[in-house]
Order: sequence, then structure tokens, then C-alpha cells
Amino acid sequence: MTNTKSIGQLLSRGILSENPIFKLALSMCPAVGISTTVMNGVMLGVAVFFVQVFSSVTISLFKDQIHPRIRIPTYTLTIATWVTVIDLVLAAYMPGAYAKMGIFVKLIVAFAIITMRLEMFACKENVKDSFWDGVGMGLGFLVGMVVIGFVRELLGSGTILGYDVLGFKPLLFFILPCAGFFVVGLMMAFFNWIEVFYKQKRGVRS
Amino acid sequence: MKDILSIVFRLTLTCLMAATVMGAAFIFTNKAKKHNEHVREERTMYALLGYSEAKPAPASIVLHQIYRYIITEGERQYVSYLIPLESGKPGAPPTYSLISLDLQGKMVDQKPVAIDGEKIREREDRDRAVMAAVGPGKDVHFADHTIIVTENGKRIAYLLGGKFPGFKTFINVMLALDPSYTMVGLEILEHEEDPGLGAEIEQDYFKNQFQGKSIKTLKDLKVVKEPLPAEYQQALEGGMAEADMARIMEKYKDKDIYALTGATISSKSVTDGVKGMAKKFAYRLDILDNILKEQQIAVSF
Repeated sequence: MTNTKSIGQLLSRGILSENPIFKLALSMCPAVGISTTVMNGVMLGVAVFFVQVFSSVTISLFKDQIHPRIRIPTYTLTIATWVTVIDLVLAAYMPGAYAKMGIFVKLIVAFAIITMRLEMFACKENVKDSFWDGVGMGLGFLVGMVVIGFVRELLGSGTILGYDVLGFKPLLFFILPCAGFFVVGLMMAFFNWIEVFYKQKRGVRS
Repeated sequence: MKDILSIVFRLTLTCLMAATVMGAAFIFTNKAKKHNEHVREERTMYALLGYSEAKPAPASIVLHQIYRYIITEGERQYVSYLIPLESGKPGAPPTYSLISLDLQGKMVDQKPVAIDGEKIREREDRDRAVMAAVGPGKDVHFADHTIIVTENGKRIAYLLGGKFPGFKTFINVMLALDPSYTMVGLEILEHEEDPGLGAEIEQDYFKNQFQGKSIKTLKDLKVVKEPLPAEYQQALEGGMAEADMARIMEKYKDKDIYALTGATISSKSVTDGVKGMAKKFAYRLDILDNILKEQQIAVSF
């Protein structure tokens, strides 16, 4: 990776062309398990966002001090530290949401997307780029979770953010775990189709 | 060898840094977390008394905290109550006193405890203050926490916190009794029963079965393995008109507790636990009230 990327490129790469859920297909287990409502998606997305940004910056700051043989343990320690901090903050200031999400917040330690970004990007690039890469990837995950949550909540329980919009429950099936796979799969196909379509159009133009 | 040393050194340093960051975060958030716990606890208490955010408790309702301690001195054991004293003028901060009784229910002594209304809620601060009050050489052990609720100086309810063994670990509950020791409500605060089976103890249709049971019924309350009658279930879940609900609740008032399907042990441990808590509390409070009357100790409740 070269050091010539602009902030906009780093951000859009995380959200669009390398979206953690739809393109990289990483951290599928929370994407499938937790995204039954928009609110759940937002909560976990925000937690992952902060952990990703803080961990990327930390690793980037200390990249020269990390012994190459213990890269992964160091990453895990860093992530675990920030997850604990986020966990404590959520428990202290958002007790209502934490009561529902608490167990999933602790699971962020094992999310593949964060470790992967540290290994692929933060340990090679400077602090500023790592920060924006973390922001982009975190936002990408957040957007992915919200979109999946939106579809599943709307079709599964007929509500959005807890407000009844449809007045009935179209397909209860969508809030069950197996539907998570269907929604993620269909969305992947949809995003790939958009990308192909966009590239073709641009190709014709040039 | 040099590599190994370097790895050990770096990993140790990483761990130390991580510990510092986590420790700092803990210190910063601990206060807010404790505050949340108190808010939650208080909300549970008011919910048990029938108040909610939509229907806040009037200012005439006051909660008086009483903490029971077991104090051991060599062979002898005392039961001590940390109680708020009558402050004389309204609005003044309460002063606390530790009243020790021996196992025969005779008063041993009364000692002032230097603690304020905020610190008394923190277990560590409270334990320290009690230890300072009883002097060295005694073993102080916190037993339980009771709240006496008064309205305009008249007792309207008792709130009892406590825990007892469930199917897996301890079940932490709070129950409300009225002045004649009739159950007003039960709230399950913490438990680790199996989801879908024992965890159903926190559902309305189980815990509300305790409502309205008098102390006489409670004393030999049993668990029956029979299906819950449909009308009773509906009344317990609150899905009907109030008059009908009161009629059905009245009808089942003296009946035993219907066990949860597939969770007889959890049902039984909750029933026995609640039974024990209410029974022991009624016995202890009568003794304490007698002592307070005999010794003419002016308490705030």
C-alpha cells in the first residue's frame, strides 16, 4: 500500500469498495446474530467504530516498538483494552442499552475486521492515515449493520427504531438468525451489482 | 535469547500500559456506574410500591434504610441493626445508631455511628463505619438490608432485599410487604436460571402469584405441579379490567404457587426463599420494635 491516499479515498474505501461486511465478508457473526433491529445495529456499530479508531491509532503510534513475532498478541491486547474501556463507558453512561448489548460488546475483542485492519494497514502507515482508515472501516461496519438491521426490523417486526410503521408483522422469519444470512447475501449481491453497473457506465463514458 | 528477552520485556510493557488505561477508565466510570445502580434499585423499589415515572411518589413518602449486621465477639454473637434516628427537625441530615441485641432478643448496647446518608449506601464505607463503632477485636458481617416506607410518619410498607440459592446460583430478589406482613409484590433482580425454563421466574405470571399472600398463607406456602388456570394467568399478566382482576386475584389469594413447567426446582427455591425472608423478617421486626419501645429510642420510622 502506498502512502498517497487522500482522506476521501480512505473513507470511501471503508464504506464502499472495501466495506467490511458486504465486500470483505468479515465479522459476519455479529452481522448475522445481532442485527435484528436498527438500534442494535447502531449500538454495536458505534462500539466497533470507536474500538477500530482507537486501536488503529494506538498500533500506528507504537508500530516501531512492536516485535514482529508478537504482533498478533499485541493487537489482541490493544483491542481488548479499548473494548474494556468502551464497555465500562457504555455500562456507566448508557445503562439501558448496555443491559441488552453488554454481552456482544465484550465479543468485539474477537472481531476479525479490527485485527485485520491493524495487520494490513495500521502497522505500516502513519498515524493520520491509520486514523482515517479506522474511521472509514468503522463507519463501513456501522452502515452495514444499520442497513441489515433496517431490512430485518422492517420485514421481521414491522417497526423501525421501535416505532410501528407497517402495523403488522410481514415475515417473522426475518428476525430469526438464519434470515441474517439471506439478508447479508442478498445485500452483497446488490452492492456487487451496483459496482459492476457503475464500472460499466464509467467504462462506456471513457 | 536476546529475542526472547525483548519479547518478554515488550509484552510486559504492553500489559502494564493496557492495565493503566483500563484502570483509569474504571476510576472515571465507577461513580456513574454506582449511581446507575442506585437509580435502578430505587426505581425497582418505587415500582414495587406502585409508583412509576408516569405516577411519581408524593413527597410525603420516605424510605428509611435499615441494615442488619451479625457481630461476633469470641463465642458470643450479636444481631445489630444500623438504624436512622429521629433528627428532631425536618430536613436535618439523619444520624445513625447501631443497636445490638443478643441472641435471646435482649438489648445489649446502642452506639452512634458516624456516617452520612450518601455513604451509608456504599457497602465498604458502611462496613468501615460499623467496624469503627463497635471497636476492635470483633468480627462484623453484613447480613441484609431492609427499607421501611412511611407516609406522613405512618408505616405503609416494608421492602426486603435478599438472596437465596436457586437452581444454579443465587437468586437476588426484593419483596414488598405491607404493615400486616401481607405480600405486596416481588421483583427478581438478578438470577442465572436457564433461559426458557427457570428464567421464567421473572415473568409476571409467576412472580405476581405472590401478590396478596398473607403471612399466614406464606408460612405454609407450597408449590403445586398443576397447570396455571387460564383466567388466573390473564389476571396475573394484567390483561383485563381492574375489577375482574381484583376478583380473580382474591379467588386465588390463599392458593399455593403454581410451578413453572420444566422448572420445578427454580419455582420451589423462589417460593421457599420468599417464604423464609418474609417469615424471618416479621419475627425480627417484632423484636426490634419491642426493644425500641422499651428503651424509648426515637427512630425516624
